[in-house]
Amino acid sequence: MPVLTDLLFYAFAGLALLFGFLCVANPFSRNPVTSAMFLVLTIVSLAGLFILLHAFFLAAVQVLVYAGAVMVLFLFVIMLMDLRQSEERQIRILTIGTGALTVAAIAGILIRAVIAAKPLTVSPSLAGETKALGRLLFTQYLLPFEVMSLLLLVAMVGVILLSKKEIE
Amino acid sequence: MTPGLNHYLVVSALLFSLGLFGVLARRNLIVIYMSLELMLNA
Repeated sequence: MPVLTDLLFYAFAGLALLFGFLCVANPFSRNPVTSAMFLVLTIVSLAGLFILLHAFFLAAVQVLVYAGAVMVLFLFVIMLMDLRQSEERQIRILTIGTGALTVAAIAGILIRAVIAAKPLTVSPSLAGETKALGRLLFTQYLLPFEVMSLLLLVAMVGVILLSKKEIE
Repeated sequence: MTPGLNHYLVVSALLFSLGLFGVLARRNLIVIYMSLELMLNA
């Protein structure tokens, strides 16, 4: 009798892969908004996988920040920039085919490396994850944390400066 | 089959390769950025 969590893993993993594929290679529409929508669904499926790994804080933050803020920003940019549809350049089967073949080869190498690696007996799950994450963030990874906030500040100042120049 | 670490890594590798395909095959810049996000998520 298959356990529910096992089925949920396959469900979320399958959905994530399906939505990821539809994001990059939608056979029905070349619209970038469609790709953005499917990326949101991929991110939410990955949040489901995080929950299965007992990483609850990460799953919540993923949905709130990644799907809720970053992708919304993407959609703002897509809609404000008024991109034309991708040019009517015919989709050369040979180019796309070569690309797909190369990517399949790289994926094959990665998967074979994963399967051939020494088996790990630890099952992938965390306990008390939020506390452990907070503790790590404020002790061992304090410097990268502060550097990241500085980076965000620089980005914000840069954006304000750039947007100001365009008005004049 | 209970999903172990290998299963998660395989899913991650496949998502990475999907993102890589998107970066290489799409011409729209925004879609290239989104495929890059997909790779980072993987």
